[in-house]
Amino acid sequence: MRTGTRRFVIAGLAVALLISILAPYLASPNPDGLESAAEKFEEAEGRDYLAFNSPLPDYTVPSLGETGVSGIVAIVIGTMVTFLVGFGLSKTIKSRP
Amino acid sequence: MHIPDGFIPLGQCAIYFALALPFVVKSISWARKEMEEASMPLFATLAAGIFAIQAMNVPIPWGTSGHMVGGVLAAILLGSPYAGVLLLTIVLVIQALLFADGGVTALGANILDMGVISTFVGFYTYRGLKGRLGIFGASFAGGWLGLFVSALAVAVELAIAGTFPLAEGLMFMGLYHAVIGLIAEGMITSVVVTTVARVSPELFPELAGEVAA
Repeated sequence: MRTGTRRFVIAGLAVALLISILAPYLASPNPDGLESAAEKFEEAEGRDYLAFNSPLPDYTVPSLGETGVSGIVAIVIGTMVTFLVGFGLSKTIKSRP
Repeated sequence: MHIPDGFIPLGQCAIYFALALPFVVKSISWARKEMEEASMPLFATLAAGIFAIQAMNVPIPWGTSGHMVGGVLAAILLGSPYAGVLLLTIVLVIQALLFADGGVTALGANILDMGVISTFVGFYTYRGLKGRLGIFGASFAGGWLGLFVSALAVAVELAIAGTFPLAEGLMFMGLYHAVIGLIAEGMITSVVVTTVARVSPELFPELAGEVAA
């Protein structure tokens, strides 16, 4: 890896991990734009459900409860998984003829 | 603006999968042909950063919040909207499967809105304006407009689904995301693009030579 690339990866991952650690404490718990809009409309009421049982629902580790640490563990896992999938997948795509 | 399961009937979900698929296929062939071997660690780092920033909701007025989507940022840095499509597809699949953020049945719609529409609108807005506004202004405008237009697309899809009324859905989705677009998408996209263009433009061919602009 070139020096510049290595520097970007280290700095980028450091920022990503810092955000992952701070997000459970700093992120706004308010509903997002889509959820807020949905709250205004009767038509949307009670429609949403979970079609799939995710292991880390809502960015928490179920066995750790809804604590800050639980959020940190979940988001750090997600950040690392995304890095590895992003790297692994682009390598795989490139290596196929 | 991740659409959950249940907001769109399954038949319509299938249509959004079908509409998103050609873009995802094209993004894979973009990666095979155009992405440099040396850019892959950068692509993976951007993906990790965008996953993390999507967990950081910023408050906006009206008791609401929102987060950056990031496809426009990836597209500008890597020089193709397909970079944003591929990156957002990876992030959205991980979010739906591991974190129940965005429905598995709505994945096609979420990829179409955040991966394709937001990224294409934002990238070409940036391209069109960078001569006049410079890279800070153009990437701000691209980030903002990409998010805004994709929020309107979500409102239309949910109106077709019978989940939102059309006019009010457009109004609330437009209003909330116009603000989220300013303080999250536009701001972060322009600050990161400008910083990278100053510090290490050689890593991103698209940015090399843009610093003076």
